[in-house]
Amino acid sequence: MSAIRWSYAINQWKPQFDDFVRREQHERALKTLSIAGFEGVELTYGTGRWEPLGNPQQLAANFGSVAGFGDFLRSCAVDAVSSWYWDPAERSMEDLTGPLSPLAEADAPAIAQRAGVLAGALAELGGSVLLVRPVPGAGDVEPLDDDALDRVAACWDAAGRATAEHGVRLALHVDFLSALRRDHVPRLVDRTDPALVGLALDTGELTAGGIDPLGVIAAYGDRIAHVQFKDALAVDDAEEYLQPHAHWTVRVRGGAREVPRWFAEPGADGGLVDFPAVTRALLDAGYSGWIVVESDQSPHPAASALLAGYLVQRELAPLVAEAVRA
Amino acid sequence: MDHWRSNGPAGPVDQWHSHRTMSAFLKQIKATGFDAIDTFDFRIWQMYGDYGGPAKYQEMVRDHGLERIVNTFHAADYDVRNYAPHLPETHENILEDFRVTMGRWSEIELDNIIVMPATLYYDMEPITEDKIKYTAECWNKVGEITAGFGVRLTCHHEFFCGIQSEPDLETFYSHTDDRYVSLFVDTAQHCIASVDPVAFYRRHAHRVSGFHFKDTRDVATGDDHRHRPDSEIMAPTTGKWFHEMGTPHGLVDFEAMMTAVRDNGYRGWISVEHDKANKEGGDYSESTAISRWYAKNVLEEIYR
Repeated sequence: MSAIRWSYAINQWKPQFDDFVRREQHERALKTLSIAGFEGVELTYGTGRWEPLGNPQQLAANFGSVAGFGDFLRSCAVDAVSSWYWDPAERSMEDLTGPLSPLAEADAPAIAQRAGVLAGALAELGGSVLLVRPVPGAGDVEPLDDDALDRVAACWDAAGRATAEHGVRLALHVDFLSALRRDHVPRLVDRTDPALVGLALDTGELTAGGIDPLGVIAAYGDRIAHVQFKDALAVDDAEEYLQPHAHWTVRVRGGAREVPRWFAEPGADGGLVDFPAVTRALLDAGYSGWIVVESDQSPHPAASALLAGYLVQRELAPLVAEAVRA
Repeated sequence: MDHWRSNGPAGPVDQWHSHRTMSAFLKQIKATGFDAIDTFDFRIWQMYGDYGGPAKYQEMVRDHGLERIVNTFHAADYDVRNYAPHLPETHENILEDFRVTMGRWSEIELDNIIVMPATLYYDMEPITEDKIKYTAECWNKVGEITAGFGVRLTCHHEFFCGIQSEPDLETFYSHTDDRYVSLFVDTAQHCIASVDPVAFYRRHAHRVSGFHFKDTRDVATGDDHRHRPDSEIMAPTTGKWFHEMGTPHGLVDFEAMMTAVRDNGYRGWISVEHDKANKEGGDYSESTAISRWYAKNVLEEIYR
């Protein structure tokens, strides 16, 4: 019996910090993903007054309360916030804190506390997974030795304990710039408590990092707590992720090749991910939970959402239904 | 309805640009929950050139999970020299056009061929009863031709055409034969022309063969309806007459419209239209989604 629910990541509507700040823009985006067949939305953490959907304090400032945002969601025919993505290296203007690092033992309590706050809001909005960036980018930290991995694992176990109090799973989201790329992923996952920490499978990030998502499902199917379906249009085969500040120079600027767009909605022209195969593998691995479809960024967000909705409705959801019948 | 633009690498393109852009268009229409499409009559040349004809093109439509092409809009190039329904001496030319046109479409099943039944307002004014009567006679004959092909001839009154005011609409329908001339209610066009589309529909429901559900935020004022050379995109009062259903500050009362549709037991297709949705920063994909969201979450609660 599969219990897969489909959600859509709203981050593609916000390419720049001063975009997507007005209520009517949120309403149109939510109605668009609703009519495309998605029942949930994934939020991305942000801070400050131009991030109305970025954190619980901003939700309250804009919608009266977290519950008020829930009412707004339902008025747009969206059932839930499926999940929230949070990189602790993002500062918090609301809490007057700078970047937090899971590599720093002293930051671990604050990270766990902040994860708990996000999880509390998430639970109130019907969500079940807090995604975190488990370590900084590969080019921004020293290579991760055993001690570093132990500290990171302890940090996320503690954060997972805090989110579990709200019934929310914590999932490690390894992106294509991560210091965990390739063989570090197992070394961290194996150090964490399976009851507290899961893995987020992001098809686009893995593929852009030269990692086959099917291999990850085969090796860690039982640890997958969350899934993101986005396509990859290019692979960082020159290992530019090892450069400092790759978040800007590689992800945003496109690296030496100036890749115009690393990611796109599933099924986009030139996409490298085989989504029916990934869906079947997840079903075979017994995955249940949210699959969040995303484009990451898009020159045309509404079109990306509708094209993804078409793929889900016509190809992927029927695979799930078929598995349920079997 | 057929209007659509998307961003190509060299700038905006319509869905007929390539098979790929057509596929993306059909996928988005299907993804939002629409069941079928309407098209413009002049697209038939691209259907022949790129797809092998209307039937072959319709196969592609069906491959994307949509049922079929329901209506085609015959966007004629009216000209008082040779093609103007209020001028009897041009009627034979118009009739011949429809004989040929209906033959071209005969390989698929259409419900309606939609026409703007009068020339541009400034080419017909002053609007007299005689001119309206000649126009009605023309469409009675055209409707007989289309009926022979199993297709209803239906009239869609743009706010800038010669027959758009309430008295002129009533005169026109009093002279047309309801066996051959149907009414196609475009909610926004009537609103812009200061005609209440709900009341107008209720009066003529028995001969309504379809709808364009779209909204507007503006009523035409002054010479908007007769602005030369064009009212639709060149009127000085607004750069964007049309908005998708569900838009804030829309003037069409769609809930009342849907209630009237229910009360009259209408059975058939309702077409949703985004006419020039890309003007002033709009977006066809988003307008399609918002309007279909509105239809599903508001209108279908009234009558499904």
